[in-house]
Amino acid sequence: MNAVRIAVVLAALAILAAVPWFGSDVLIQFGINALLLAVLAQGWNIIGGYTGYPSFGNSVFYGLGSYGVAIAMVQWQWPFGAGLVFGVVLAAVFAVLLGMPVLRLKGHYFAIATLALAQVMAAIVSNVKLAGRNIGLVLPPLNNDRLFYELSLGLLVLATLTIFWLTRSRFGFGLIAIRENEEGAAVMGVNTTLYKTLAFALSGIFSALAGGIHAYWVTFIDPESAFDISLNVKMIIMAVFGGPGTVLGPVVGAFSLSAISEFLSSEITSLAGLFFGVVVVAAVVLMPRGLADMLRRIRRVGWRYFAENIRTHRL
Amino acid sequence: MDLLAQILINGILLGGLYAVMALGLALVWGVLNIVNLAHGAFIMLGAYVSWYLYTYAGVDPFLGLPITAMVMFVIGYAVQRGLLNLIVRAPMFNTLLITFGLEVVLTYLAQLAFSADFRTINPSYAGNSIQWGPIVLPVARLLAFGVAIALTVAMWLLLLHTRLGRAIRATAQNLVAARLYGVEPRHLYAVTFGIGIALAGTAGGLYGTVSQINPYIGAALTAKSFAISIIGGLDNPLGVIVGGLFLGILESLTSLYVGSTFADVASFGVLVLVLMVRPNGLLGKAA
Amino acid sequence: MTPILEIKHVTRRFAGLIAVDDVSFMLQRGEILGVIGPNGAGKTTLISLISGTLAPSSGDVFFEGRSLAHVPAYRRARLGIGRTFQIMRPFPGLSVLDNVAVGALFGRGGGQAQLVKAREQARAQLDFVGLGANVDQRADELGGPGRKRLELAKALAMQPKVLLCDEVMAGLNLVEIEEVIEVIRKVRNEGISILVIEHVIKAIKSLSDRLLVLHHGEKIADGEPGRVLASQDVIEAYLGKRRA
Repeated sequence: MNAVRIAVVLAALAILAAVPWFGSDVLIQFGINALLLAVLAQGWNIIGGYTGYPSFGNSVFYGLGSYGVAIAMVQWQWPFGAGLVFGVVLAAVFAVLLGMPVLRLKGHYFAIATLALAQVMAAIVSNVKLAGRNIGLVLPPLNNDRLFYELSLGLLVLATLTIFWLTRSRFGFGLIAIRENEEGAAVMGVNTTLYKTLAFALSGIFSALAGGIHAYWVTFIDPESAFDISLNVKMIIMAVFGGPGTVLGPVVGAFSLSAISEFLSSEITSLAGLFFGVVVVAAVVLMPRGLADMLRRIRRVGWRYFAENIRTHRL
Repeated sequence: MDLLAQILINGILLGGLYAVMALGLALVWGVLNIVNLAHGAFIMLGAYVSWYLYTYAGVDPFLGLPITAMVMFVIGYAVQRGLLNLIVRAPMFNTLLITFGLEVVLTYLAQLAFSADFRTINPSYAGNSIQWGPIVLPVARLLAFGVAIALTVAMWLLLLHTRLGRAIRATAQNLVAARLYGVEPRHLYAVTFGIGIALAGTAGGLYGTVSQINPYIGAALTAKSFAISIIGGLDNPLGVIVGGLFLGILESLTSLYVGSTFADVASFGVLVLVLMVRPNGLLGKAA
Repeated sequence: MTPILEIKHVTRRFAGLIAVDDVSFMLQRGEILGVIGPNGAGKTTLISLISGTLAPSSGDVFFEGRSLAHVPAYRRARLGIGRTFQIMRPFPGLSVLDNVAVGALFGRGGGQAQLVKAREQARAQLDFVGLGANVDQRADELGGPGRKRLELAKALAMQPKVLLCDEVMAGLNLVEIEEVIEVIRKVRNEGISILVIEHVIKAIKSLSDRLLVLHHGEKIADGEPGRVLASQDVIEAYLGKRRA
């Protein structure tokens, strides 16, 4: 990465970190949501973007992180930090246990298996007494949006640095090799089973951390909201829109889509969701490789970029 | 014992409906390689079409199914020809994303057009039941079951024994070869998708006679259709009958013996098991 | 001296079809063993059985005297068994350099831990096979001959003790074939034992120390190339039985 790009990223980071001091309450809340979504998108990037296993089940880990924090703080009176650790441990254990059978599946079968798991988690947890069953749990309130904002930002930085580390580490190369040609990777010495499971666990850990912070912030969780299935698709759309398998793509995707969604909500409330769907459809047709790829190639190819995408993929 | 038999029959009747719900999805997925996350939304649309026909034109919901089917076929054809054909040769993952977007759009449009109120399709005979020994057979469910099985078998016959069916399967397997035989793939893909959506719409019409409809039922129905398609297997069109019956009976039994919240857990648990042990489905080739 | 590779009575069945039928042979250290046979003779299956992508239905593969039963593919790679693929599948999204770097990162003994060192090794291997000028290209931009060399470089970067080459000369013209033969000889001079599957008889005759012939999954000849190629069985396998 050259000096100019590093400077730009650092400047952006500084501005983001300063938001709680000059932004409105609404902006800060929007920021927290966008930042946590970006963390989810980056987490997905590890298993979906870099390893090539599109997980539709990261909401499971998000929910485990939420419940980890909630149970720890409400039932056992642990501090928040310990709760987060508990949530992370839950997520890691689940990732390994569930990952082993499910990671043997390929492509969209893997996607569907993880989706199925995501569907049942809410049902299972709503029967667990420790988790407050259907009613959920109410966490001790902490009215400090600034803190949550900076925590979320910190988590996003951590996630992005992890992705950056992937691009220049042996582990990351192994994941990319698995994505590009799994059998080829195995005969070259990559322990594919171990690596896939680690990637799945790592992605789950980030989802869990995001869930934990979110739970403490909104103070209340129940099975429906903690294991919210729509999160899965949101994080995937954001990662793919921004550019899967890139370092900053999912962040850009998360921020831009959150902004678009927010803008539409405030301007054209009832049609906001509708336009979001239209944006997704248009994006898949016109820029299927994501924003990152578009920004890179549009300088060379101009508007023909979109027509080319259609021409390559149409029947 | 009587209770068990009743539950089993309930499960079977439900299974038939499930089968026709999944049929359109399995067709489009197995033949066109399009994973349609908006499938449930199309079922929902079909239900509304039937409801409108019944409420404003007095058309009997069962007799009006062909009309619903035709309307939905046109919609499906247009969607494929105008939109999905544009991404057919992209990685399959893109079909997941684009149909997700479509699902969002359809749900919102439905919400705007039909409001969020619950509706049902209630012809006068809907409340009747036939008594078969100790077992109660609700007329609406029985009719739905009958239509469902008939449609599924018809679909199987179409795919395997008619020229259109062969053309569809040929195009799915080898685009270039199909073109050399004079098949116009864009049209054929659109026809296939149209059939898939017509089936979904018909399922919706049937669904409306046994359950309430609102704009948001799409997602859950999509998930269920996926489970059925996979459990039954995509290779054989009759697989959805197996998958549907299996799921219907499983859900009925689980509801009775364990609790209704676990019905979902059971079905998805089976789904994951099938994926791991026999990914081609119960009727598919052994992996 | 123990042969570096020993295949003992290996059979592989696929639902009714016997792809490899009770094949036994040895690969000595520093040897170039050619494997030929008509299409469908089971050659690629044999390589998959040695590299670990497939498990034998019966029989066993021994590497340096130790059995490879239940040893997964990635561990065989780390022991020192490298292979090229007949249907070349580079890692398309990666550059030529990084394709080979994967081999250096994960090869024998677990490979390099550092990406920088791995890339250095990759550069060296690419020079060795003659692709030094293409290091920064995207792997899927290489033409056919280039891809063959890339396959070789990837396998070599693993620092294998045994190299299994699956039709590295297919689709090449005479000049390119000569160049590949040169590279393979260079590889042997580095001390690597090589098993070469090939269709180009003339090339493999000059390259191999010994020749193995497979037909319908069975081994029908094993010995000095000149003698093997002149034998009746082999000629019949390729050309069919003479009409009386």
